[in-house]
Amino acid sequence: MAALALNLLIFLPLLAAVVVWTLPERRQALAPQLSLAVSLVGLALAALLLVGLPGLARDESGAALIGEARAEWIVVGERAAGGLRDGVILRYHVGLDALSAPLIALTALLVPLSVACSFTAVRHRVREYYAWLLVLTTGMLGVFAARDVLLFYIFFEFTLVPLYFLIGIWGGPERRYAASKFFLYTFAGSVITFAGLLYLGIRAAQIDGLSVIDFDLVRLSTLSLTQLSTTEQSLLFAALFCGFAIKVPLFPLHTWLPLAHTEAPTAGSVLLAAVLLKLGTYGFLRFSLPMVPHGALAWAQVMGVLAVLGIIWGALCCWVQRDVKKLVAYSSVSHLGFCMLGMFSLLPVGLSGSVLYMVNHGLSTGALFLVVGMIYERYHTRDLDQLGGLARQMPVLASFFVLFVLSSIGLPGLNGFVSEITVLLAAFNSDVLGPWYGVLGATGILLGAVYMLYAAGKVLFGPLKEPPGTPDLSAGLRRDLTGREIAILAPLAVLVVVLGVAPRLVTDPLDGALQSQILDRVHEARAASAIQHHPAYAAEVHPLPDGRGSEEWYTTALFIGPEPGEGGPP
Amino acid sequence: MNPLTPNTWLPTAAELRLFAPELILIATIVAVLVAPILIGRRPVAVAFLALAGVLAGLYACGAVAVQVGAGAQGVLSPPAEPPLPPMLMADRFSLFFKLFLLVTLAAIVWLWMIGAGQAQRWAGVENRARPLAAGPEFFVLLLTSALGMMLMVGSLNLLVILIAIETASLPSYALVATDKRSRLGAEASLKYVMFGAVSTAIMAYGISLLYGRFGTLDLSTIAAQIAWMPPAADLVFWLGLLGLGTGIAFKVAAVPMHLWCPDVFEGAPIEVTTWLSVASKAAGLGLLLRVVEAFSASAALSDAVVPLTWAVGVLASVTCTVGNLAALRQESVKRILAYSSIAHAGYMLMAGAILVAASGDAAAHGDLPRAGMAALVAYLLVYVTMNVGAFGATALVAWQTGSDHLSSFTGLGRRAPWVALPMALCLFSLVGLPPLGGFAAKWFLLVALGKAAGVHPWLWVLVTVAVLNTALSLYYYVRIIRQMYLTDDDALPPVRAPGGGLVMVNACAVLLLLLGTLWFSPLGQRAGRLATHVFYSPVPARPQEVPSPTGHPPAALPAEAPRMALSAGHTPPYHGK
Repeated sequence: MAALALNLLIFLPLLAAVVVWTLPERRQALAPQLSLAVSLVGLALAALLLVGLPGLARDESGAALIGEARAEWIVVGERAAGGLRDGVILRYHVGLDALSAPLIALTALLVPLSVACSFTAVRHRVREYYAWLLVLTTGMLGVFAARDVLLFYIFFEFTLVPLYFLIGIWGGPERRYAASKFFLYTFAGSVITFAGLLYLGIRAAQIDGLSVIDFDLVRLSTLSLTQLSTTEQSLLFAALFCGFAIKVPLFPLHTWLPLAHTEAPTAGSVLLAAVLLKLGTYGFLRFSLPMVPHGALAWAQVMGVLAVLGIIWGALCCWVQRDVKKLVAYSSVSHLGFCMLGMFSLLPVGLSGSVLYMVNHGLSTGALFLVVGMIYERYHTRDLDQLGGLARQMPVLASFFVLFVLSSIGLPGLNGFVSEITVLLAAFNSDVLGPWYGVLGATGILLGAVYMLYAAGKVLFGPLKEPPGTPDLSAGLRRDLTGREIAILAPLAVLVVVLGVAPRLVTDPLDGALQSQILDRVHEARAASAIQHHPAYAAEVHPLPDGRGSEEWYTTALFIGPEPGEGGPP
Repeated sequence: MNPLTPNTWLPTAAELRLFAPELILIATIVAVLVAPILIGRRPVAVAFLALAGVLAGLYACGAVAVQVGAGAQGVLSPPAEPPLPPMLMADRFSLFFKLFLLVTLAAIVWLWMIGAGQAQRWAGVENRARPLAAGPEFFVLLLTSALGMMLMVGSLNLLVILIAIETASLPSYALVATDKRSRLGAEASLKYVMFGAVSTAIMAYGISLLYGRFGTLDLSTIAAQIAWMPPAADLVFWLGLLGLGTGIAFKVAAVPMHLWCPDVFEGAPIEVTTWLSVASKAAGLGLLLRVVEAFSASAALSDAVVPLTWAVGVLASVTCTVGNLAALRQESVKRILAYSSIAHAGYMLMAGAILVAASGDAAAHGDLPRAGMAALVAYLLVYVTMNVGAFGATALVAWQTGSDHLSSFTGLGRRAPWVALPMALCLFSLVGLPPLGGFAAKWFLLVALGKAAGVHPWLWVLVTVAVLNTALSLYYYVRIIRQMYLTDDDALPPVRAPGGGLVMVNACAVLLLLLGTLWFSPLGQRAGRLATHVFYSPVPARPQEVPSPTGHPPAALPAEAPRMALSAGHTPPYHGK
């Protein structure tokens, strides 16, 4: 039942896309409604699936999945008596676990909102537009649900094409350049990731002494580490890095992002920022850390430096932007830097903060893009110098805008605060990174407050400034937000507050999975390399053979690890 | 033995039956030549005649494949004691390529018919004018070049190889210039002739060197000789091999013998371009594999495996990269696709590198040759679909707008959605994006390369080159897609494409979608099975007494040479007729 729901969740949009694309011209008006209906069904299905999440967290084995569906898709090789020989196996294997569930929920929530926000904004080639949006939905959900590495890669690439068309056809004035740059940049990175995954799959078969190459996620992330040398792992990490870091985007590979975000139509920007950037962070979390932990350790400091540079660089870029949308786009560079900083602190709290940050960034940046889109629809400009004092004209929009700005800069009580503070604390306390990373990263908060409040102040307050001939209400808009637009923003506003008060809704089901699937792997690698390099120290601090480190080790090195007796270290 | 002329050897009917596809093709050529005398110059009628001949040939191919069976082969050689090496062979390997060529040929004839319909329709219209399709002589030339290619994959005799390559090339030169009014076509044809002449000369020189060195024209005999005469420092042998390789590289359009390709592809009528882009390469690759296979079992060459693999690998990488780089700045879609076909030849040569790498020591490689061959078979099958689709869509546009310049594709997504969509799918598939057939093809290739790299780690370089080239190629394929979907000019009228053409390109697109999803696995399995059967072409009847210029005793020849290297023990060896 749950499996059916998950498959429907992934493939219903694809079916709907075909229907929408082939609608006859005179039925064109059905396209938006149909798409909205399908995406709402998707949301309901996702909610249905998420009900099982608390049960999953209680599962001891950690292997359980919600809505697991598994079938052999590509089986090539010789069928011998004992099974397959000399072959390759690629499964269609989907299922939700604690790591992917929050991102699936985020996607399922944002798709109907971005469909709804396009009702008035998109007025030409309507059927195509909604078809591509739905195709993109399938890609995004499939990526997070995939349990086979190659299936993940297929969905990962599959998201590029619809977004290319969404940006290239319905985007701003420089849309063609932006779309091509986005496509080429991300594709170039992901093919290198592909080579890395291929290498890992083939090596895994060698290590396990099997003649069948199998890309099962669990199998690759529980590979015996002693067989894969540190150099090999570092190189593999670099290969995976190419695709994921471009997607995140990590400084200095972020240059495609401001352009793509700014030129994309509102729905494209929302999904790009809220969901597609998370493919990169999710990739690091799901693949790089558990599959090549030695590589991750070797690279952790580089990643930390890049993350901090991204935080500061992105924030400084925001400061000088005239274009509100570009400002929000650059803020993503800065925010995703926080996310990566938390992840590569390699502490439990950092990892769960990082996942929380993914969700929060999706909510608040997605909401900001929506608000900016709504302003743009009315005023046809996003130039800070041409807008001003809109709060008096559109009080409802102004309140939403302020709320999301505050959430984005991390005001205590709203969602951004929790994730930002945990991430920074983790970086500060991490023995891989260190206090400096935390300190420098924290300047990002300060700068964030500066540029965000500056932009919001310019647009909303002060003397009224409107470009001549605006607001343009020809599409059936009102001066202030319409009911539809309020309905789009309201759920996000509610979530921003709820997750600010109760972040444990996201993190509680997560902690156990993060520990067992990722951190244990990393600690195993650390212990192993510690023994290799400092035998005396290791004997004292990392009692083996368990290799996990003692309780004492956790309390000294992992300042804020989970409390003993509450799912702490075994 | 013929009772009437006892001293002349004539093949028996049973032997001839094995070469029914070629004979049917020859009969069709004659029929196509004679038909105009009987029915007058009616191009379409002649086209149907040619198509009927091709389909009959296809049927014969299938029948012979059943008759030949796995692992066995039919040969065309006079009976002698000891048996002479065959002039022509009909084994599953050559039959696969023959089938492949005939299917492509049928698609080309179909494409020609669509074009002929277009030509009649626009006969009087300015700018749309497409010369009335050339009559019967076009089919004579087309079928003759097909015949040459079919012979190319069926022989190990250097003389037959030379004749086959010429039979394939000479009509092609004329085919390129079918449109007598096209200056571009004439120029292209001239270039083609020049390059062809030079490469044939080099190849003939190489062959003469080999003959002079070994006293035989049979490659398997040469391979057997070098088995006990290490060729490491044998300059003549390597020069001869290089000459032979040059001729093959010309047919495959591998760098540096690729320079004819873009001009010819641009100047030739689009049916001919499609034909050359697919068939010429397939036949060249088939021949290359034959040669590789002939030498692969030679234990004497095992020292040379690494440098030889390097040579093929470098050739493949350079071909791939040069093709992709040159395509970046092209403005003519035909030219873009021409360079893309060079790049794809590079990918396919990588599969050749696997086979070279896996030669020598059979035990160490196990499954590798099969995987490499399977990858190549899968790649060829997908490649023909992508290319027929992409060139077909280009033809539909070019016939309507009178140009294959990138600007003719402006707004095609609106002007002809059912041409633009399959074109886009074919292009994405050429890139290798999932979930399309092109991804499946690249996937099998890269997995095979990766597996081979397990034995020879430096093959990872080839994997890297392949993926980087894939990223590079996206740029120019996307330029076409961008022109079709992202730019538009409302002044441009819709493009009306003929129904037959639409069926053709959309069928290709659907096939690609299926190959990338539901048929992904069947594709791999079929290719694997074909590879097992196909790439087992034992040379029968190894001559026991070879003339030995160096005077070594022939006894040194292993009685049972390790011919199993490439079959990895799946099929019993063949011990002569």
